[in-house]
This record gives sequence, C-alpha cells and structure tokens, in this order.
Amino acid sequence: MRRPKVLVGIGLVIAITLTACSTGERVDLGNESSQNLIAAIAGEPDQLDPHKTSAYFSFEVLENVYDTLVEPDENLEMRPALAESWEVSGDQLTWTFHVRQGVTFHDGSPFSADDVVYSYKRIIDQKLSNADRFRAVTDVTAPDKSTVKITVAQPTPNLLSNIGGFKGTAIVQRKNVESGEIATHPIGTGPFAFRSAKSGDSITLAANKNYWGGPPLISGVTFRFIPEASTALSALQAGEIDWTDSIPTQRVEELKTDDSINLGVTPSNDYWYLALNEARKPWNDVRVRQAIAYGVDRHAIVQATGYGTATVNQLAIPKGGPWYTEYHGYTLDIAKAKSLLHEAGVKDLTIDMMATSQYPETVTAAQIIADNLAALGITVKIRSMDFAAWLDEENAGNFDMLMMGWLGNIDPDDFYYAQQHTGGKSNAQKYSNPDVDGPLDAARAETNRDARAGLYARAATIVADEASYIYLYNPSVIQAWSKSLAGYQARPDRAIRFRTAALN
Amino acid sequence: MKTFFTSSIVRFLARRLLYSLVVLLGVLIVAFSLVHLVPGDPVRIALGTRYSPDAYQTLRAASGLDRPIVEQFFGYVGSALTGDLGVSFRNGDPVTLTLLDRLPATLSLAVVGIVIALLISVPAGIWAALREGRISDAVVRISSQFGVSIPDFWMGLLLIALFASTLGWLPTSGYQALSDNPAGWLRHVILPGLTVGLVAGAIMTRYIRSALLDVASMGYVRTARSKGLPPWVVTLRHIVRNALIPVLTITGIQLATILGGVIVVEVVFAWPGIGRLVYTAVAARDYPLIQGAVLLIAVLFLLVNLVVDVLYAVVDPRIRLS
Repeated sequence: MRRPKVLVGIGLVIAITLTACSTGERVDLGNESSQNLIAAIAGEPDQLDPHKTSAYFSFEVLENVYDTLVEPDENLEMRPALAESWEVSGDQLTWTFHVRQGVTFHDGSPFSADDVVYSYKRIIDQKLSNADRFRAVTDVTAPDKSTVKITVAQPTPNLLSNIGGFKGTAIVQRKNVESGEIATHPIGTGPFAFRSAKSGDSITLAANKNYWGGPPLISGVTFRFIPEASTALSALQAGEIDWTDSIPTQRVEELKTDDSINLGVTPSNDYWYLALNEARKPWNDVRVRQAIAYGVDRHAIVQATGYGTATVNQLAIPKGGPWYTEYHGYTLDIAKAKSLLHEAGVKDLTIDMMATSQYPETVTAAQIIADNLAALGITVKIRSMDFAAWLDEENAGNFDMLMMGWLGNIDPDDFYYAQQHTGGKSNAQKYSNPDVDGPLDAARAETNRDARAGLYARAATIVADEASYIYLYNPSVIQAWSKSLAGYQARPDRAIRFRTAALN
Repeated sequence: MKTFFTSSIVRFLARRLLYSLVVLLGVLIVAFSLVHLVPGDPVRIALGTRYSPDAYQTLRAASGLDRPIVEQFFGYVGSALTGDLGVSFRNGDPVTLTLLDRLPATLSLAVVGIVIALLISVPAGIWAALREGRISDAVVRISSQFGVSIPDFWMGLLLIALFASTLGWLPTSGYQALSDNPAGWLRHVILPGLTVGLVAGAIMTRYIRSALLDVASMGYVRTARSKGLPPWVVTLRHIVRNALIPVLTITGIQLATILGGVIVVEVVFAWPGIGRLVYTAVAARDYPLIQGAVLLIAVLFLLVNLVVDVLYAVVDPRIRLS
C-alpha cells in the first residue's frame, strides 16, 4: 500500500503551495502600485495608432493617451480640449482655434498648432479611414504657434464633432509617426502616457503629471485583456481588477442588487437595425419592407439580446439625446403585414439573413426574427459567419437582409448621412430617395440648430416610413467597477476616461 | 555497441531533420493557400465599417495585397527561409517577435498541464488496471469519463468559482512570466494548468489502463507470475515497462495538442498563449501572423514527435533508430 501515500504526499505538496500564497495579488509596480487602477477590457487593441485603428479596444486605451482639439462632455456637447477657444467667421467658412499654451507631449517636447496641422493633414493626405470626417475641409493652416485655421467649402455645423467626437482624430506627434513607433508606443498629450505592453496580456499607462487638465489622481492604469465576461466579473468581485466592461448581460439584474460593486447602466448612442437589400427583388418594394417592419417583435428582440437593458427605438437617435425625434410608425401587427405582402403580390418568400458571431446579438435576434416572420409565411435562412466574411458579403451586396449596429455616433449626420443618402458609403442596402437626400444635404450646411434638427427629423421619418433601415433598439453601456473607484462615470459614447478617477 | 548507437542516432536525427524541412515546406504551402482561400478581406476588417473606397485602395496597396498571389507567395517563402516571417498586417509588428513573446505562456501551460495529467493518469491508470472489474476500477473509469466529457470551458469556470471566487486562494486569470516572478507564475498557471491537465489526464488514464491490460494478458506476464515473482515486480518490470510505449505515444499527442493552442482555456483564463493569438489573427485575416503561427505550431509538433521517437528507443532497446 505504498502508492496511496505517494498520492497523499503529492496532494499535500499542492495544498501547501496553494495556501502559502496570498490572495488578491495585483500587478506589482513598486511603491505606486496601490494607486494603479486595473481595468479589464474584453480584447487586445490591434494597434495603438489612433488614426489607423478602427478597433474599440484600441480606443478604450487611447482615450486616456491622446487629446483632440475639442471633445464631447458627458452630455456629448463639444467642449474645449487642446483648443481653449474658437470662432467661426461670418460666412461660416473659416474656423479659428486658439490652442492651449504650455502643453507638452509625453516625451517632454512642446505641443503647438503645427502638430494639429500635421495630424489633420496626415489623415486627409494619406486617405486614412477617418478622412471622411474632413470631407468639407479645404485647408488647415497654422498662422502662428497658437492658432489653427480650418477653412471649409461650405458651412459645416458639425465640424466640431467631426474633429473631436472621438480619438480617431487625435493630435499625434510627427516624430512618433515618422519613427513608426506610434503603432506600439504612442506619444500623446493626454492624461496618461503609454508605459509598457505585454502581448496578449495587458497595456500599462502612467499618469502624466504635466497634464494640462491637472495631474490624474491615480498613478497609472493597467488595461488587462480578459475576453471571457464571467472571468472578468469574478476578477472584479475578487478585487483583482477595479473596473470592467466585459460583463455577461444576463447577470445585470443580479448585479444591480450586489452591494460589493458599482454597476453603471447608461443608455448609449449606439443603435441596431435591420436592412433589406433593395438591389434585389422583392425588397425594392416598399410594401414588402414595411411588412417585415410590422412583423418583427422588437420587444422580444430587446429582451433576448439585452435582458431588458436595451431600449426599443424605431429611429436611430436615442431618447434623451438633443436630436431625438419621436416616432412610433410600427407596431407588431401580423394582419397588417400580411395585407401589405398581399398588396405587393408576393408569397412564399425566403430571406437570406446574415448574422455574425462577432456580434452575438445578431445571431440571437436572427432566431427571433426567423420565428416572427414565419407567421407571415416568410422563411428566414440565417447565415452566421465571422465578421471578415460578413463584411465581404455585405460589400458584394450578397444578402437579402442583415442586422448590424452603428456605434459611437454623436452628430445626427453620423446617424443618417452615410447610411441613407443615395450612394452613401455605408448605404449597403442601396436606398435612394431624393426626399431624403435633400434634407440630409441641406442639414450639413444649416447653421440654425432648430432648423437643422427639423431637417433630420424629416429625413429620418421618411427613412423609417419606407423601412430603408428597420430600426430596432438602442443598447445600454454596461460597466462595473469596485467600490474603491471614485470619480468615474459611464458615458453614452463609450469613451473610457480615467483622468478624474481616484482609488480610495 | 556504443558507437553503433551514437552514429545511428546521428543518422536518425539528420534524416528526421530533412524530413521535417519537407513537412514544414508543405505546411507553409497549405497555410498560405488556405488563408488566401478563406473568404474575408484583411483590408476591409482593418478599416472597420466606415471608410472611403480611397482608404481601402491605399491600405491594400500599402499591405502589398494588390500584388499577384504567386509573387506574394514566393516573396513570403523567400524571407521565411531566412527566419523573417514578415510583419503583422494589423500593427506592423514583426511576426517572429510576436510569436516568441507568446511562446513562454504556451510552453508554461503545456508543461504544467502535461505534468498534472501524468500525475493523475499514471497512478490512476495503473491502479484501475490492477483492479480491473473491481469498484476502484469502476470509480477511475467513471471519473475519467467525466473528465473527458466535461467541456474545458465549463471546467475552467468551475475552478475559478471554487479556487478564486469562493476560497480566494488563487487569481482568477492572467499570466506572469516565470523569469519576472516565479511565485506569481506558479499562482497564475495552476488553474489553467489544472483545467488542461484534468482533461488530458482523463484521456490518458483511459489509455494507460487499457495499455496495461493489453500487456497484462500477454504470455510472458503469465510466465513471470507462474515463476512466482512478487506481484509488484511483475507489475513494474514486466507490465508497466512494456506499456510505456503506448503511454509515451499518448503523452506526446496530448502535449502537442496543448502546444498547438488550447483556445478555450486561454480565453477563460485570459492566458496570453498561441491559441488566442491565432484566433484573433484569423478573425482579422492577419495572413502573416496566421502563417507564422501555423509554422511555429508545426515546428513544435515535429519536435515533440522527435523526442517521443528517441524516447521509444531509450525505453525499449529492441527499437533501434534505423
């Protein structure tokens, strides 16, 4: 009977090793480690060049590293950032920005108006993915070190949100770009400076003591990549991390009553929609599209995808936002839907619907939609694929229907122009209506805010009436953080800002 | 005799090396063709959902993707032969460095996982085989059936719930380098190692048990027993020793599998291994990174196979490396 003793011995060794270890170990950063905030995000940034990345994971980090000329506050109104003030000329064609003095980049080199010109020209000249935000801009100059002049071809009321809505138009440093280090070692002017990265594991930022907005209260931020939401939540509850947005939606209800953590559920500016390919029959018939708009149960979709955290909306812009338009064109009405299909003279329809595992809500919702539309005698064939293949198919127009969402919109132009204007670059459904194009074009140059809101309301109502997009819902921003983290709030644009955070 | 063995192992290694190079070239060709055949455009996914056609053309040209595919292939093979696996489409990082960055985490998980698997499966397998048909055999067989059937995803979450959330003994997730912090490394590797080890251990237990039973039914074992040798001598010298060959085989296969990436375990424990790297590279259609990772995994497979083959000869002198 020797062997059992060996087993017991091994068991003992393991047990001793286990119990010899302390709990809640945090990343060791020397004496400052107690003031280092640990945030868990769900994935690794693809790269850290703000002008080139399109990944949200990158922007979660970069929000804290970079500045823009102006930036949205918590109500998404544009406020001064690197620009202290600005004026618009009487003809609305010249914008003059007065940039902040005494600001330095993280390597100590001074920031000036030239850096703004360099950054914008880089995006425009190299045709980077955000170049479209500068489509109205004809020139960017720096008459002196503290002034930036932007000239535009037509009045552009949303110029501020175009150049400051998110960090994709951040002010970068020429030397950092030209050395090629920007993708891995970005240098900005923001509240935190890039310090180190561990592939597949984490990125660490250190507080910028010279930050123009005042030094951060914490010594730094470590962004850990925890893809599995249950693990991130366990790590938060065990005190290993201080903040996360990797949260299983189905556990939100339970977490609302959990006193050991703070839960932030904030309506977001994102929206999800269905679009039917109008280049194909019979989806070019407005009645057929309307039938589907009457046939889908938005409330069931919201319940299944967001467990009650999302808000049904039949237009893109969420309630509570400054550009919200009231619209309730559709109700779940099978009889109405059937009669529309009958009027259009179609029957035995089959829909090829694309969903993608990258956004699990599309897969979940597709099953509900398939069930809903079966009641109309429509067969929905769900095609679920990974996002790369999905984008290919969308681009090739190889689909009947798709469900997708738009994230990070601020100005109403972001919500409607590219998606609904004839030939718009995101108009994959090939919608075209001069009655929509007119107000969308006019709104781009309309400087009276009320008149502009009226134009968008008109365009959006037609878009929904004609079911170019069948709008479904606005999801919520869901984040959780520890009781010791103060001075942080979840924002509707999903920008993660730790500049005012404190750890008690 | 000694020189014969030495020279034969040199010849063996030389032959295997040559054979490995051929395999690697094959892997390279297959990997390259596959990534280009799979639908999905790396430029489109890099740009996200809002971009102008101009931006698309610019990035496509900058990535060299507008060149003919044959030209791309020979360019790739040419530099791969010199150890340069190119740069990632997504961030311009050298692929070789990225892979080397991730290798320690994968090796840690594989070694710890296989050690745990051996610690479980060798005693359990022998125990069950010696008590074939009895209660303890049934217990081992049922538990190993559980180990094989429980998804590793679920097993990982259960271990986190027990050891990290409830008992607070170990961290939920993450990785620390052995060179930076040996104690931290150990604390972080235990739970993922256990998850991998329990699954591999369950498979290996069943294998070891049946290998032992096969050997135990051989004539020479009966002869040994009838000679009046003590049971433990028969077990160790005649049964276990002869059952080592299949045990080595299954251990090698399990080790190679873990080295090839245990994506689910890496995801659950936020482990920065090769598996997750490949997963995100595929999602982004980062061709150079996918090809490099496939090549690295192939190299690891070949190395494990080589070691197993050499060990065969060490364990069983009847096997000569000729």
